[in-house]
Amino acid sequence: MNPLWSNIFRKPGYEGTLAYFLGTIPTFATLGRRDLVFLESIIHLRNYNPGETVFSEGDIGSGMYIIRSGRVRIEMKDEQGVSQVQADLEAGDFFGEIALTTPRPRIATATATEQTVLVGLFRADLLDAIRKHPAMASKILLGLTRVLSERLQHAGLRLREQSYAHLKSVQEDQA
Amino acid sequence: MTALPRPTGRAKNLVLFLVLSAGIATGITIFSSASTVVEWLETATSGLFLPILLSVIITFLLDPLVQLFERLQISRTTSIFAVYAILLIVCFSLLTLIGPPNWRSMLDALRADFPRYIARILEYLNNLLASAHTQFPYLENYDISGKVRQWTQEFLGLILLETPRSAMRIGSLFLLVPLFSFFFLRDSRRFMRNLISLTPNRYFEMVLDIYDHVSWQLAHFIRGRIVEAMIIGVVVWLGLSLTDIRYAPLLGAIAGVTNLVPYIGPIVGMVPGLVIALVDLGVGPQFWWILCVYLLIAQLILDNFILIPILISRVSNLHPLWVILAIVMGGKLYGVLGMIIGVPIASVIKISVIEIRHYRSSFNSAREILTNQRE
Repeated sequence: MNPLWSNIFRKPGYEGTLAYFLGTIPTFATLGRRDLVFLESIIHLRNYNPGETVFSEGDIGSGMYIIRSGRVRIEMKDEQGVSQVQADLEAGDFFGEIALTTPRPRIATATATEQTVLVGLFRADLLDAIRKHPAMASKILLGLTRVLSERLQHAGLRLREQSYAHLKSVQEDQA
Repeated sequence: MTALPRPTGRAKNLVLFLVLSAGIATGITIFSSASTVVEWLETATSGLFLPILLSVIITFLLDPLVQLFERLQISRTTSIFAVYAILLIVCFSLLTLIGPPNWRSMLDALRADFPRYIARILEYLNNLLASAHTQFPYLENYDISGKVRQWTQEFLGLILLETPRSAMRIGSLFLLVPLFSFFFLRDSRRFMRNLISLTPNRYFEMVLDIYDHVSWQLAHFIRGRIVEAMIIGVVVWLGLSLTDIRYAPLLGAIAGVTNLVPYIGPIVGMVPGLVIALVDLGVGPQFWWILCVYLLIAQLILDNFILIPILISRVSNLHPLWVILAIVMGGKLYGVLGMIIGVPIASVIKISVIEIRHYRSSFNSAREILTNQRE
């Protein structure tokens, strides 16, 4: 293409925008550019210092977070009350998505381990979007459902594998 | 040797005195400049209260319409313009169909009639007093009718004086209110989001959730109140226009606006209609019909059994004591306007407090669930 024309039609710096970043998250991968721009208008950008708590176990959850930059550590307390590191998440990962649909207490503690920028998508805004822009909101919800059901299936498969392994070891013991 | 500490003591005293007087002077300067700043602020914002209030009301009324357009994938700004255009067309076609309301002649007629109504009330009061005097002679000292006459003359003078000024104010309202409501409609969401994003990370989710609950309840309540007042006004107007009474639209408007104040408002809104009916029509079937319209149809059937249960949740019910306090305090702050909006504002505060308390209690129960799960 003629460089003049390509310069006119190219939207400069789209790759750097928040909308583009949201499009790279698996949850929102199927959304179009228009939906992503809408999504950009209902999310919140939050800055965290190293060591700052995003949420603690037992807080009322009201939404999910996506890591734009930085790292977040997820910890859970075991039976003795000692916190165990569950995961270290980095840019592009997301967490807390269960709380998006139902107000449930958080089951883990999330802490920023370096200077972190999080993108928050909260239930209040999502419900508002469902009332005002049902078509776009259902696309977002569909993306979320897809990711959640993939995880559920994955967890179900792993559970079945483990129970098979357990059965097998019991049978071997009996034999 | 002993003389040495004395001058330093004096110097200390001097320094103390200087510091104290400087402090007092600064204090007075700051205080006086602060009071002038407050005065400036008061002068600057004095005319803005009514337009902003009206704009907020219009914003709440138009917001559902704008959302309707937004659902058709039209941008918010365009939607607002579309709603404005439709309203303009509706108003214009109503004006051309029915003809412009003859406010001027109505006002002139009212100005002429007003003293007549007052005179009749005074006559009635005097008759009442005369009969009272025969029974209670010590009442002679109280000049009730004189007081009423003085009060009404002052009121009439105020109306005559204020009419040209208020005409100018109404002109500026027509300019300011659509402008303000346009920006409220377009930017209030962004503005509130920016305000909420100022909260610290730790409390952000909670604040966002509480704001969502409170604003939803408030919008529901305010919209319900406005629609209720409008329906009551229209019903009273229609009911009154079945009789020969004059000023039916005006009386309907008064009934609608005063209906915003619970308990006392409907009674106050009824008085002008009943006075006019008594003076012009006398006690007869028409008078009883008017009373019936005010009391039975508008208040009892429509408001209590139909509108309030549908439009307004029970959460916003205020204790009568709070209603009286809100009316008195609102009246002190902003006169008649303050009396009318004092109670809705009190309800707004109550709804906010209840929502926050509700959120906190659900927060605690969530913690309990988690600890139970762990056990």
